[in-house]
Amino acid sequence: MKILWTVTCVGFLAAQPALADREDPQQALAWLSRMAGASAQQNYSGTFVYQHRGVSETSRIEHFVNTAGGVFEKLEALDGPAREVIRSNDQVTCYLPTIKTVIIEQRNARLLPAQLPERLSDLSENYGIRIGRLDRVAGHECQVIILEPKDKLRYGRRFCAETRTGLPLRASTLGEKNEILELFAFTELTIGGSFNRDRVKSKYLTASRKWRVDRSAMNVTERAADTGWVIGNQPAGFRKLMEIKRSVAGRSSSVAHIVYSDGLAAVSIFIEPLTAAKDRPEQSLTHQGAVNIYTRQLGGHLITVLGEAPAATVMQIANSLEHRTTASR
Amino acid sequence: MDRISALMDGELDDRELARQFERLRQDPALRETWDVFHVIGDAVRGDSPLAGSFNERLSASLQREPTVLAPSGRRKTGASVMIYALSAAASLSAVAMVAWVAMSMNNAGTQPDLAAAPVAAPVEPARVAEPVMVVPQLASMPDEGRMNEYLLAHQGFSPSTALQGVAPYIRSVSTRPVDITR
Repeated sequence: MKILWTVTCVGFLAAQPALADREDPQQALAWLSRMAGASAQQNYSGTFVYQHRGVSETSRIEHFVNTAGGVFEKLEALDGPAREVIRSNDQVTCYLPTIKTVIIEQRNARLLPAQLPERLSDLSENYGIRIGRLDRVAGHECQVIILEPKDKLRYGRRFCAETRTGLPLRASTLGEKNEILELFAFTELTIGGSFNRDRVKSKYLTASRKWRVDRSAMNVTERAADTGWVIGNQPAGFRKLMEIKRSVAGRSSSVAHIVYSDGLAAVSIFIEPLTAAKDRPEQSLTHQGAVNIYTRQLGGHLITVLGEAPAATVMQIANSLEHRTTASR
Repeated sequence: MDRISALMDGELDDRELARQFERLRQDPALRETWDVFHVIGDAVRGDSPLAGSFNERLSASLQREPTVLAPSGRRKTGASVMIYALSAAASLSAVAMVAWVAMSMNNAGTQPDLAAAPVAAPVEPARVAEPVMVVPQLASMPDEGRMNEYLLAHQGFSPSTALQGVAPYIRSVSTRPVDITR
Protein backbone atom coordinates (compact mmCIF):
# COMPACT_ATOMS: atom_id res chain seq x y z
CA MET A 1 0.00 0.00 0.00
CA LYS A 2 2.78 2.32 0.99
CA ILE A 3 4.63 1.58 -2.20
CA LEU A 4 1.61 2.24 -4.29
CA TRP A 5 1.13 5.55 -2.54
CA THR A 6 4.72 6.52 -3.21
CA VAL A 7 4.44 5.59 -6.82
CA THR A 8 1.28 7.57 -7.18
CA CYS A 9 2.91 10.54 -5.57
CA VAL A 10 6.00 10.40 -7.71
CA GLY A 11 3.88 9.96 -10.77
CA PHE A 12 1.87 12.97 -9.87
CA LEU A 13 4.86 15.14 -9.14
CA ALA A 14 6.56 14.10 -12.34
CA ALA A 15 3.51 14.93 -14.38
CA GLN A 16 3.13 18.31 -12.74
CA PRO A 17 5.91 20.28 -14.44
CA ALA A 18 4.86 19.08 -17.84
CA LEU A 19 1.43 20.46 -17.16
CA ALA A 20 2.44 23.71 -15.60
CA ASP A 21 5.83 24.71 -16.97
CA ARG A 22 5.43 27.15 -19.75
CA GLU A 23 7.27 29.75 -21.69
CA ASP A 24 5.35 32.86 -21.05
CA PRO A 25 7.92 35.61 -20.69
CA GLN A 26 5.36 38.35 -20.34
CA GLN A 27 3.60 36.70 -17.49
CA ALA A 28 6.85 35.67 -15.86
CA LEU A 29 8.13 39.23 -16.04
CA ALA A 30 4.91 40.42 -14.49
CA TRP A 31 5.52 38.05 -11.61
CA LEU A 32 9.06 39.31 -11.15
CA SER A 33 7.86 42.84 -11.05
CA ARG A 34 5.20 41.98 -8.48
CA MET A 35 7.82 40.26 -6.40
CA ALA A 36 10.07 43.27 -6.49
CA GLY A 37 7.32 45.54 -5.25
CA ALA A 38 5.70 43.22 -2.74
CA SER A 39 7.91 43.99 0.21
CA ALA A 40 7.21 47.70 -0.06
CA GLN A 41 3.50 47.06 0.29
CA GLN A 42 3.12 44.17 2.70
CA ASN A 43 3.43 43.71 6.41
CA TYR A 44 4.78 40.35 7.38
CA SER A 45 6.57 38.51 10.12
CA GLY A 46 8.22 35.18 10.02
CA THR A 47 11.23 32.98 10.34
CA PHE A 48 13.52 32.30 7.45
CA VAL A 49 16.46 30.11 6.82
CA TYR A 50 19.48 30.96 4.74
CA GLN A 51 21.62 28.18 3.35
CA HIS A 52 24.81 28.33 1.41
CA ARG A 53 26.99 25.39 0.61
CA GLY A 54 26.06 23.23 3.52
CA VAL A 55 25.64 25.91 6.17
CA SER A 56 22.27 27.02 7.34
CA GLU A 57 21.25 29.90 9.55
CA THR A 58 17.93 31.03 10.87
CA SER A 59 16.64 34.53 11.49
CA ARG A 60 13.43 36.12 12.57
CA ILE A 61 11.99 39.11 10.74
CA GLU A 62 9.23 41.64 11.42
CA HIS A 63 8.46 43.93 8.53
CA PHE A 64 6.01 46.84 8.41
CA VAL A 65 5.26 49.55 5.93
CA ASN A 66 3.17 52.66 6.40
CA THR A 67 1.13 54.56 3.88
CA ALA A 68 3.83 57.18 3.48
CA GLY A 69 6.22 54.57 2.11
CA GLY A 70 8.06 54.22 5.39
CA VAL A 71 9.52 50.85 6.29
CA PHE A 72 10.13 49.48 9.77
CA GLU A 73 11.91 46.28 10.25
CA LYS A 74 13.44 44.13 12.91
CA LEU A 75 15.77 41.32 12.15
CA GLU A 76 17.07 38.98 14.77
CA ALA A 77 19.64 36.29 14.25
CA LEU A 78 18.55 33.12 16.01
CA ASP A 79 21.84 31.26 15.62
CA GLY A 80 25.29 32.20 16.81
CA PRO A 81 26.09 35.40 18.68
CA ALA A 82 22.98 37.47 19.44
CA ARG A 83 22.44 40.28 16.98
CA GLU A 84 19.50 42.52 16.30
CA VAL A 85 19.02 44.94 13.48
CA ILE A 86 16.34 47.60 13.57
CA ARG A 87 15.54 49.65 10.55
CA SER A 88 13.45 52.74 10.09
CA ASN A 89 13.66 53.61 6.44
CA ASP A 90 17.27 54.26 5.60
CA GLN A 91 18.30 54.50 9.24
CA VAL A 92 19.73 51.27 10.43
CA THR A 93 20.70 50.37 13.97
CA CYS A 94 22.46 47.26 14.95
CA TYR A 95 22.55 45.93 18.51
CA LEU A 96 25.39 43.67 19.52
CA PRO A 97 24.91 42.59 23.11
CA THR A 98 27.99 40.41 23.26
CA ILE A 99 30.26 43.38 22.78
CA LYS A 100 27.85 45.97 24.18
CA THR A 101 27.86 48.03 21.04
CA VAL A 102 25.26 49.86 19.00
CA ILE A 103 26.10 50.63 15.40
CA ILE A 104 24.13 53.26 13.56
CA GLU A 105 24.18 53.62 9.84
CA GLN A 106 22.48 55.87 7.38
CA ARG A 107 22.29 54.71 3.82
CA ASN A 108 22.71 57.22 1.09
CA ALA A 109 19.64 56.67 -1.03
CA ARG A 110 20.56 59.22 -3.61
CA LEU A 111 22.75 57.04 -5.76
CA LEU A 112 20.68 53.92 -5.83
CA PRO A 113 19.88 53.13 -9.42
CA ALA A 114 16.37 52.32 -10.54
CA GLN A 115 17.49 49.20 -12.25
CA LEU A 116 14.67 46.85 -12.05
CA PRO A 117 11.69 48.28 -13.89
CA GLU A 118 13.89 49.78 -16.56
CA ARG A 119 15.78 46.65 -17.19
CA LEU A 120 13.28 43.86 -16.82
CA SER A 121 13.08 43.52 -20.57
CA ASP A 122 16.85 43.14 -20.78
CA LEU A 123 16.49 40.11 -18.61
CA SER A 124 15.05 38.03 -21.39
CA GLU A 125 18.14 38.66 -23.52
CA ASN A 126 20.27 36.88 -20.98
CA TYR A 127 17.86 34.48 -19.31
CA GLY A 128 15.12 32.14 -20.39
CA ILE A 129 12.23 33.09 -18.13
CA ARG A 130 9.57 30.52 -17.34
CA ILE A 131 6.63 30.11 -15.08
CA GLY A 132 6.93 26.87 -13.19
CA ARG A 133 4.42 24.97 -11.16
CA LEU A 134 2.53 26.04 -8.10
CA ASP A 135 4.28 25.08 -4.90
CA ARG A 136 3.91 25.61 -1.18
CA VAL A 137 6.37 27.29 1.16
CA ALA A 138 5.81 27.84 4.87
CA GLY A 139 2.17 26.94 4.42
CA HIS A 140 1.54 29.48 1.67
CA GLU A 141 0.78 28.69 -1.92
CA CYS A 142 3.35 30.17 -4.26
CA GLN A 143 4.19 30.41 -7.92
CA VAL A 144 7.55 29.14 -9.13
CA ILE A 145 9.40 31.43 -11.54
CA ILE A 146 12.53 30.15 -13.22
CA LEU A 147 15.34 32.14 -14.80
CA GLU A 148 17.70 29.99 -16.80
CA PRO A 149 20.93 31.59 -17.95
CA LYS A 150 21.47 31.53 -21.70
CA ASP A 151 25.23 31.10 -21.28
CA LYS A 152 27.82 30.28 -18.63
CA LEU A 153 28.48 33.86 -17.71
CA ARG A 154 25.68 33.96 -15.16
CA TYR A 155 23.83 31.87 -12.61
CA GLY A 156 20.28 30.61 -12.75
CA ARG A 157 17.60 31.69 -10.30
CA ARG A 158 14.47 30.13 -9.00
CA PHE A 159 11.86 32.00 -7.05
CA CYS A 160 8.61 31.10 -5.45
CA ALA A 161 6.30 34.09 -5.06
CA GLU A 162 3.27 33.98 -2.81
CA THR A 163 0.29 33.84 -5.14
CA ARG A 164 -1.77 36.58 -3.54
CA THR A 165 0.85 39.21 -2.64
CA GLY A 166 3.83 38.29 -4.79
CA LEU A 167 6.07 38.17 -1.73
CA PRO A 168 9.14 36.03 -2.43
CA LEU A 169 8.93 33.05 -0.10
CA ARG A 170 11.88 31.19 -1.48
CA ALA A 171 14.77 32.29 -3.66
CA SER A 172 17.67 30.21 -4.82
CA THR A 173 20.73 30.76 -6.95
CA LEU A 174 21.82 27.83 -9.06
CA GLY A 175 25.27 26.96 -10.36
CA GLU A 176 26.26 25.49 -13.68
CA LYS A 177 25.25 21.97 -12.73
CA ASN A 178 21.99 23.19 -11.30
CA GLU A 179 23.40 22.84 -7.80
CA ILE A 180 22.04 25.26 -5.23
CA LEU A 181 24.67 27.83 -4.33
CA GLU A 182 22.48 29.85 -2.09
CA LEU A 183 18.96 29.46 -0.81
CA PHE A 184 16.72 31.55 1.29
CA ALA A 185 13.29 30.33 2.37
CA PHE A 186 10.69 31.20 4.92
CA THR A 187 9.87 28.35 7.25
CA GLU A 188 7.07 30.19 8.98
CA LEU A 189 5.34 33.33 7.82
CA THR A 190 2.37 35.51 8.65
CA ILE A 191 1.39 38.02 6.00
CA GLY A 192 -0.52 41.10 7.08
CA GLY A 193 -1.02 42.29 10.64
CA SER A 194 -0.96 45.83 11.83
CA PHE A 195 1.98 47.93 12.80
CA ASN A 196 2.96 48.00 16.42
CA ARG A 197 6.08 49.83 17.44
CA ASP A 198 6.87 47.29 20.12
CA ARG A 199 7.35 44.64 17.52
CA VAL A 200 10.14 46.52 15.84
CA LYS A 201 11.79 47.69 19.03
CA SER A 202 15.02 46.15 20.14
CA LYS A 203 14.87 44.17 23.33
CA TYR A 204 18.21 45.78 24.13
CA LEU A 205 16.80 49.28 23.92
CA THR A 206 17.13 50.05 27.60
CA ALA A 207 20.29 48.13 28.24
CA SER A 208 21.98 49.66 25.25
CA ARG A 209 21.89 53.19 26.63
CA LYS A 210 25.10 52.34 28.41
CA TRP A 211 26.69 50.72 25.40
CA ARG A 212 29.20 52.17 23.03
CA VAL A 213 27.63 53.85 20.02
CA ASP A 214 29.50 53.51 16.77
CA ARG A 215 28.59 55.90 14.03
CA SER A 216 31.59 55.48 11.81
CA ALA A 217 29.52 53.80 9.14
CA MET A 218 27.78 57.10 8.55
CA ASN A 219 30.92 58.69 7.26
CA VAL A 220 30.83 57.25 3.79
CA THR A 221 30.08 59.54 0.89
CA GLU A 222 29.49 58.41 -2.65
CA ARG A 223 29.39 60.60 -5.72
CA ALA A 224 29.12 59.95 -9.44
CA ALA A 225 32.50 60.33 -11.13
CA ASP A 226 34.55 59.35 -14.11
CA THR A 227 37.14 57.13 -12.49
CA GLY A 228 39.23 56.66 -15.61
CA TRP A 229 39.03 52.87 -15.37
CA VAL A 230 37.62 50.80 -18.22
CA ILE A 231 37.07 47.17 -19.09
CA GLY A 232 38.64 45.84 -22.26
CA ASN A 233 36.80 42.54 -22.40
CA GLN A 234 33.28 43.06 -21.18
CA PRO A 235 31.31 39.83 -20.60
CA ALA A 236 28.40 39.49 -23.05
CA GLY A 237 25.13 40.91 -21.81
CA PHE A 238 26.68 43.07 -19.09
CA ARG A 239 26.39 46.84 -19.18
CA LYS A 240 27.81 49.51 -16.97
CA LEU A 241 25.23 50.51 -14.40
CA MET A 242 27.11 53.21 -12.57
CA GLU A 243 30.47 54.62 -11.69
CA ILE A 244 31.20 56.45 -8.45
CA LYS A 245 33.88 57.43 -6.00
CA ARG A 246 33.48 56.34 -2.41
CA SER A 247 35.22 58.24 0.29
CA VAL A 248 35.26 57.42 3.93
CA ALA A 249 35.89 60.15 6.45
CA GLY A 250 39.24 59.58 8.06
CA ARG A 251 40.71 57.71 5.12
CA SER A 252 43.00 59.61 2.88
CA SER A 253 42.23 58.07 -0.48
CA SER A 254 38.90 57.45 -2.16
CA VAL A 255 37.91 54.17 -3.75
CA ALA A 256 36.58 53.91 -7.30
CA HIS A 257 33.46 51.77 -7.57
CA ILE A 258 32.05 50.65 -10.92
CA VAL A 259 29.05 48.35 -11.29
CA TYR A 260 28.23 46.19 -14.29
CA SER A 261 24.96 44.30 -14.60
CA ASP A 262 23.10 41.99 -16.93
CA GLY A 263 19.76 43.15 -15.58
CA LEU A 264 19.77 40.73 -12.67
CA ALA A 265 23.26 39.85 -11.56
CA ALA A 266 25.68 42.64 -10.80
CA VAL A 267 29.45 42.72 -10.59
CA SER A 268 31.22 45.48 -8.69
CA ILE A 269 34.77 46.66 -9.22
CA PHE A 270 36.58 48.45 -6.41
CA ILE A 271 39.89 50.12 -7.09
CA GLU A 272 42.07 51.56 -4.37
CA PRO A 273 45.72 52.44 -3.98
CA LEU A 274 47.79 49.51 -2.84
CA THR A 275 49.00 50.10 0.68
CA ALA A 276 51.90 48.38 2.42
CA ALA A 277 51.38 44.95 0.98
CA LYS A 278 52.74 42.60 3.53
CA ASP A 279 52.48 39.06 2.27
CA ARG A 280 49.58 39.97 0.10
CA PRO A 281 49.23 37.48 -2.73
CA GLU A 282 49.13 38.71 -6.30
CA GLN A 283 45.61 37.43 -6.65
CA SER A 284 43.03 35.45 -4.75
CA LEU A 285 39.56 34.11 -5.29
CA THR A 286 36.96 33.42 -2.62
CA HIS A 287 33.23 33.43 -2.30
CA GLN A 288 30.45 34.19 0.10
CA GLY A 289 27.21 32.51 -0.73
CA ALA A 290 26.71 33.02 -4.44
CA VAL A 291 29.04 36.01 -4.52
CA ASN A 292 32.47 35.37 -5.97
CA ILE A 293 35.23 37.69 -4.90
CA TYR A 294 38.47 38.11 -6.76
CA THR A 295 41.32 40.43 -5.87
CA ARG A 296 44.42 41.26 -7.81
CA GLN A 297 47.09 43.89 -7.93
CA LEU A 298 47.54 46.15 -10.88
CA GLY A 299 50.22 48.81 -11.12
CA GLY A 300 50.11 50.08 -7.57
CA HIS A 301 46.40 49.43 -7.17
CA LEU A 302 44.44 46.80 -5.38
CA ILE A 303 41.53 45.62 -7.50
CA THR A 304 38.61 43.85 -5.86
CA VAL A 305 35.90 42.48 -8.12
CA LEU A 306 32.86 40.79 -6.65
CA GLY A 307 29.41 39.78 -7.74
CA GLU A 308 26.73 37.11 -7.80
CA ALA A 309 28.17 35.64 -10.99
CA PRO A 310 30.43 32.68 -11.81
CA ALA A 311 34.09 33.05 -10.96
CA ALA A 312 34.99 33.14 -14.65
CA THR A 313 32.83 36.21 -15.21
CA VAL A 314 34.22 38.00 -12.19
CA MET A 315 37.78 37.20 -13.22
CA GLN A 316 37.21 38.22 -16.82
CA ILE A 317 36.15 41.64 -15.64
CA ALA A 318 39.04 41.94 -13.21
CA ASN A 319 41.63 40.82 -15.70
CA SER A 320 40.60 43.14 -18.49
CA LEU A 321 40.48 46.25 -16.33
CA GLU A 322 42.79 49.03 -17.43
CA HIS A 323 43.35 52.65 -16.72
CA ARG A 324 42.55 54.89 -19.64
CA THR A 325 45.47 57.22 -20.19
CA THR A 326 44.85 60.82 -20.93
CA ALA A 327 46.41 60.30 -24.34
CA SER A 328 43.92 57.72 -25.51
CA ARG A 329 40.87 59.71 -24.57
CA MET B 1 7.99 60.40 24.41
CA ASP B 2 4.87 59.22 22.60
CA ARG B 3 5.13 62.29 20.35
CA ILE B 4 8.57 61.20 19.37
CA SER B 5 7.40 57.78 18.45
CA ALA B 6 4.55 59.28 16.46
CA LEU B 7 7.13 61.39 14.74
CA MET B 8 9.08 58.30 13.92
CA ASP B 9 6.01 56.66 12.53
CA GLY B 10 5.35 59.57 10.22
CA GLU B 11 2.02 60.26 11.85
CA LEU B 12 2.47 63.94 12.67
CA ASP B 13 1.24 66.88 10.67
CA ASP B 14 3.59 69.67 9.68
CA ARG B 15 3.05 71.88 12.69
CA GLU B 16 3.43 69.06 15.14
CA LEU B 17 6.48 67.94 13.23
CA ALA B 18 8.13 71.31 13.56
CA ARG B 19 7.39 71.42 17.26
CA GLN B 20 8.91 68.02 17.85
CA PHE B 21 12.02 68.94 15.91
CA GLU B 22 12.35 72.02 18.06
CA ARG B 23 12.09 69.89 21.19
CA LEU B 24 14.75 67.65 19.83
CA ARG B 25 16.98 70.57 19.05
CA GLN B 26 16.74 71.91 22.55
CA ASP B 27 16.83 68.80 24.63
CA PRO B 28 20.05 66.82 24.49
CA ALA B 29 18.65 63.98 26.53
CA LEU B 30 15.78 63.60 24.19
CA ARG B 31 18.13 63.72 21.29
CA GLU B 32 20.06 60.87 22.72
CA THR B 33 16.94 58.82 23.06
CA TRP B 34 16.13 59.66 19.54
CA ASP B 35 19.55 58.42 18.55
CA VAL B 36 19.03 55.21 20.27
CA PHE B 37 15.67 55.07 18.62
CA HIS B 38 17.60 55.24 15.40
CA VAL B 39 15.77 57.74 13.33
CA ILE B 40 18.13 60.62 13.81
CA GLY B 41 19.30 60.77 10.27
CA ASP B 42 16.43 62.56 8.67
CA ALA B 43 15.79 64.79 11.61
CA VAL B 44 19.31 66.05 11.89
CA ARG B 45 19.33 66.94 8.24
CA GLY B 46 16.12 68.88 8.73
CA ASP B 47 14.13 66.69 6.40
CA SER B 48 10.84 65.42 7.60
CA PRO B 49 11.26 61.78 8.33
CA LEU B 50 9.00 59.25 6.71
CA ALA B 51 6.60 61.93 5.69
CA GLY B 52 4.50 61.85 2.58
CA SER B 53 7.22 63.67 0.75
CA PHE B 54 9.29 60.54 0.72
CA ASN B 55 8.26 59.63 -2.76
CA GLU B 56 8.83 63.06 -4.12
CA ARG B 57 12.21 63.33 -2.54
CA LEU B 58 13.12 60.07 -4.08
CA SER B 59 11.90 61.09 -7.51
CA ALA B 60 13.63 64.41 -7.16
CA SER B 61 16.90 62.75 -6.42
CA LEU B 62 16.32 60.50 -9.36
CA GLN B 63 16.08 63.45 -11.61
CA ARG B 64 19.21 64.98 -10.22
CA GLU B 65 21.17 61.90 -11.21
CA PRO B 66 19.98 61.17 -14.67
CA THR B 67 22.83 58.98 -15.77
CA VAL B 68 22.85 56.79 -12.79
CA LEU B 69 19.33 56.71 -11.68
CA ALA B 70 16.76 57.45 -14.24
CA PRO B 71 17.37 56.11 -17.66
CA SER B 72 14.68 58.05 -19.46
CA GLY B 73 11.68 56.44 -21.03
CA ARG B 74 9.28 54.04 -19.44
CA ARG B 75 8.77 54.65 -15.78
CA LYS B 76 5.51 53.07 -14.93
CA THR B 77 6.36 51.23 -11.80
CA GLY B 78 9.38 53.38 -11.07
CA ALA B 79 8.56 54.88 -7.76
CA SER B 80 7.45 51.86 -5.83
CA VAL B 81 10.26 49.69 -7.03
CA MET B 82 12.72 52.40 -6.19
CA ILE B 83 11.56 52.51 -2.66
CA TYR B 84 11.81 48.83 -2.53
CA ALA B 85 15.33 48.79 -3.83
CA LEU B 86 16.20 51.33 -1.23
CA SER B 87 14.68 49.30 1.52
CA ALA B 88 16.41 46.18 0.46
CA ALA B 89 19.70 47.93 0.31
CA ALA B 90 19.28 49.51 3.65
CA SER B 91 18.32 46.31 5.36
CA LEU B 92 21.14 44.60 3.78
CA SER B 93 23.61 47.15 4.90
CA ALA B 94 22.57 46.60 8.43
CA VAL B 95 23.13 42.98 8.23
CA ALA B 96 26.43 43.38 6.59
CA MET B 97 27.44 45.33 9.62
CA VAL B 98 26.28 42.56 11.82
CA ALA B 99 28.33 40.22 9.81
CA TRP B 100 31.29 42.47 10.09
CA VAL B 101 31.12 42.80 13.80
CA ALA B 102 30.47 39.16 14.40
CA MET B 103 33.42 38.48 12.22
CA SER B 104 35.72 40.67 14.19
CA MET B 105 34.55 39.01 17.36
CA ASN B 106 35.66 35.58 16.36
CA ASN B 107 38.52 36.71 14.26
CA ALA B 108 41.20 35.46 16.54
CA GLY B 109 40.92 31.73 16.19
CA THR B 110 40.62 31.15 12.52
CA GLN B 111 43.31 33.17 10.90
CA PRO B 112 46.14 30.69 10.21
CA ASP B 113 44.12 28.34 8.06
CA LEU B 114 42.76 31.11 6.06
CA ALA B 115 45.97 32.81 5.35
CA ALA B 116 47.02 29.69 3.57
CA ALA B 117 43.92 29.92 1.48
CA PRO B 118 43.89 29.05 -2.14
CA VAL B 119 45.61 31.69 -4.05
CA ALA B 120 44.59 30.84 -7.46
CA ALA B 121 47.34 31.38 -9.88
CA PRO B 122 46.25 30.10 -13.26
CA VAL B 123 43.23 28.16 -12.25
CA GLU B 124 40.41 26.73 -14.12
CA PRO B 125 37.69 29.24 -13.43
CA ALA B 126 34.84 26.83 -12.97
CA ARG B 127 36.60 25.07 -10.15
CA VAL B 128 38.22 27.83 -8.32
CA ALA B 129 35.41 28.57 -6.04
CA GLU B 130 35.57 25.41 -4.07
CA PRO B 131 38.21 25.36 -1.38
CA VAL B 132 37.22 28.63 0.10
CA MET B 133 35.75 30.19 3.20
CA VAL B 134 33.97 33.27 4.29
CA VAL B 135 35.49 36.35 2.89
CA PRO B 136 36.34 38.82 5.54
CA GLN B 137 38.96 36.84 7.31
CA LEU B 138 41.21 36.21 4.41
CA ALA B 139 44.64 37.62 4.81
CA SER B 140 44.73 38.49 1.16
CA MET B 141 41.72 40.72 1.30
CA PRO B 142 41.63 44.46 1.56
CA ASP B 143 42.16 45.56 5.09
CA GLU B 144 39.96 44.48 7.95
CA GLY B 145 36.29 44.83 7.44
CA ARG B 146 36.81 46.55 4.13
CA MET B 147 35.56 43.51 2.28
CA ASN B 148 32.26 43.60 4.05
CA GLU B 149 31.98 47.26 3.27
CA TYR B 150 32.45 46.34 -0.36
CA LEU B 151 29.96 43.52 -0.25
CA LEU B 152 27.48 45.86 1.25
CA ALA B 153 28.13 48.67 -1.19
CA HIS B 154 27.83 46.18 -4.00
CA GLN B 155 24.58 44.69 -2.92
CA GLY B 156 23.02 48.08 -2.57
CA PHE B 157 23.41 48.49 -6.29
CA SER B 158 22.58 45.02 -7.49
CA PRO B 159 19.25 44.38 -9.23
CA SER B 160 19.14 41.02 -7.49
CA THR B 161 18.82 42.86 -4.24
CA ALA B 162 15.59 44.40 -5.39
CA LEU B 163 14.27 41.18 -6.71
CA GLN B 164 15.09 38.76 -3.99
CA GLY B 165 13.46 40.73 -1.29
CA VAL B 166 14.68 39.58 2.00
CA ALA B 167 17.29 37.35 0.51
CA PRO B 168 20.22 39.73 0.24
CA TYR B 169 19.89 40.38 3.88
CA ILE B 170 20.59 36.93 4.57
CA ARG B 171 23.73 36.65 2.68
CA SER B 172 25.21 39.10 5.04
CA VAL B 173 23.60 37.72 8.14
CA SER B 174 25.73 34.78 7.51
CA THR B 175 28.78 35.30 9.60
CA ARG B 176 30.65 32.24 10.42
CA PRO B 177 33.65 31.05 8.53
CA VAL B 178 32.70 28.00 6.65
CA ASP B 179 34.76 24.99 6.04
CA ILE B 180 33.90 24.01 2.57
CA THR B 181 34.92 20.62 1.49
CA ARG B 182 32.54 19.17 -0.92
